[in-house]
Amino acid sequence: MIKGYAGRVLEVDLESRRFAFQPLDEETARLYVGGKGYGTRLLYDRTEAGIDPLGPENPLIFATGPLNGSVAPQSNRFAVICKSPLTGGIGNATCGGSFALGLKKAGIDILVITRRAERPVRLEIDGDRDAVEFVDAGDLWGKGTYATQELLPKRFYHAVIGPAGENLVLYAGIVSNERIAGRTGVGAVMGSKRLKAVSVKGSRKLEMDDPEAFKKYTKHVRELFADHPVLGSSMKRFGTGGIVNTTNARNILPTRNFQKGHFADAMQISGEWTEDHELKGVKTSCIHCPVTCGRDVEVPGHGVVKGPEYETLALMGSNLEIADIKKVNEWNFHADDQGMDSISLGAVLSFAMELGERGMLATKLHFGDPAGITELIQDIGHRRGLGADLADGVKRMAEKYGGHAFAMHVKGLELSAYDPRGSYAQGVEYATTNRGGCHVQGASMYLESVGPLTINPQNLRLKADIPVVQQNLACAINSMVLCIFTTYGMIPKAVHEMDPDSFLHRSLRFALEHTPGALLRGAMSVKGKPMMWFEKWLTYITGTTFSSGHLQEIGARIFNLERMYNLREGLTAKDDTLPPRMLHEPIFPDQTSGHPLDQLLPRYYRNRGWDADGVPTRRTLERLQVRV
Amino acid sequence: MAVVVQLTYEMGKTLGAPRIEIEGARTVADVLRATRERFGAEAARFDQLARVTAVAVNGVLASYKRGQKTAVADGDTVAFVKAAAGG
Ligand code: SF4
Repeated sequence: MIKGYAGRVLEVDLESRRFAFQPLDEETARLYVGGKGYGTRLLYDRTEAGIDPLGPENPLIFATGPLNGSVAPQSNRFAVICKSPLTGGIGNATCGGSFALGLKKAGIDILVITRRAERPVRLEIDGDRDAVEFVDAGDLWGKGTYATQELLPKRFYHAVIGPAGENLVLYAGIVSNERIAGRTGVGAVMGSKRLKAVSVKGSRKLEMDDPEAFKKYTKHVRELFADHPVLGSSMKRFGTGGIVNTTNARNILPTRNFQKGHFADAMQISGEWTEDHELKGVKTSCIHCPVTCGRDVEVPGHGVVKGPEYETLALMGSNLEIADIKKVNEWNFHADDQGMDSISLGAVLSFAMELGERGMLATKLHFGDPAGITELIQDIGHRRGLGADLADGVKRMAEKYGGHAFAMHVKGLELSAYDPRGSYAQGVEYATTNRGGCHVQGASMYLESVGPLTINPQNLRLKADIPVVQQNLACAINSMVLCIFTTYGMIPKAVHEMDPDSFLHRSLRFALEHTPGALLRGAMSVKGKPMMWFEKWLTYITGTTFSSGHLQEIGARIFNLERMYNLREGLTAKDDTLPPRMLHEPIFPDQTSGHPLDQLLPRYYRNRGWDADGVPTRRTLERLQVRV
Repeated sequence: MAVVVQLTYEMGKTLGAPRIEIEGARTVADVLRATRERFGAEAARFDQLARVTAVAVNGVLASYKRGQKTAVADGDTVAFVKAAAGG
């Protein structure tokens, strides 16, 4: 077995209560690494087109990669893969917490859960004894994710759902500690299987090809991170909320259901504000991560809990025109406790507010008014009253009540908190990302709107190129499985410390912006020596050389396989779009329309090696060894 | 009407307000000058904080327009932008 892997796939059939440990397929690991890549391959191969995402035939796949179980910073994440009940296409989400470590300790790379239990059940997996117990979970059913985890045995690592998953809220997630695999409704799939929790333990150690080199180099990376302006400073001090004031200044902070990109009171929901007024600690960060971007805050009646991330601050703060951080903290707690994605939740609330404002929905919800939201989150989790409609997400709400023009989703997945009208590459990424309108499947905005070295986000240059390399890289990162925030460390400290008006900084920006797209993509695709820490870690752990070019190829392979999955499920180029508001309503004084997607999409398809209908050509699939 | 200046968090803390209004400014340079004046005895602190920020006019970086010569008008928002990372 390749080093870095436990070498085992555990398959559990909830209906027959049978399970089997099988060997990991080395060829699949070589081609797809692990995590999201390996899981997507399994999903594609094991399912027929057109299955019901909430039916027993949709497998729920938990997947780790070769970096999990090591002490590499930001490496305790797992991926969950299944068909998405929210989009009808590929569903996946990654999560920190500690469950990935538990799986690896139990000697499990991939956990495949099939069919449906007759009654609520919890799986208790002891990797040392190769044992799986089916524990009755009737007493846990109905409990929130916090209470559930409190009641579970301490020697295990857990992944659980809350009421939202049980009640098939289409954007329910799966929780490990205080972290959530939030997007695309993976928690609803777990709920559809009547699986309340998976508990896992074991005492295996990760075997590496060159443990000494790994150890020495990891020490160096920890020092590098500690000294880095983002990973060692701003994210440590402000969490991801440190970006609120920046997106606000760039006019891309969603406000009033994306009617505006600037919120006058943004300061009060920022990470800096939290540091000054709310912060109680950083214990809710992921295990072994020195970046500690988790924010512990106090919610009256519930103690010290995980605070909101940037996405939640934006979607449930500015986007609802709420400047009261204590309210956002409280709603974030309830979203986590119900086990639902706070991005989709914020989007569905703002959509309901706009529907109400236009007289299309009878509701007491109003922008700027926190009244009733706490109760509504519970109602969504339990599908009560209006909550039952909101539980289905923005796309289905629009099908029922109208308002497609301002329904903020792509492929059914609610849009993240970077307005693409001020971030064109991010817009292309939203439109083309296989799981829908998400920002962490590439994070192109970092190179055009918010990072220390950004190109003009509002012209066409590189906007069909950056998403390609960023999406490929993100696919690879999500297959190792590493935290995507690690990529923020790729821009060195010296660049962060430059005066943006200095000649050197302006020259760098000019050079970057005028790099031909083919050159950028070509440079990233060179298969040479490992340079970045994650390339070196993979190399030291597995014994196989990984460089930027290798990761670009692996990432492109995964991305194309996801694309083929979506095409098989009936999605087409028509789904590679943005909400009409993003395409037609200008938000900047100089804009006459919205995002110029129609000018960028054909170029993006060409860069991907797809035909004009957005279908990967046979040559592309062969080159990438994507078997379909 | 005036130009609204959105300060960075640290600037706002120093000045005791997250944003200020500047009357009579015609260019970004005017705004910068007037903002610095508001810091009075803390002008050196302003210089220090402004060094790692860019300036955006209604969300668009002034460097993509005419830099400090970029025209501003009453009702515009001029914001100091600090690079950041989130997710
Ligand atoms: S950077 Fe934050 S989200 Fe990423 S692994 Fe560390 S604590 Fe978790």
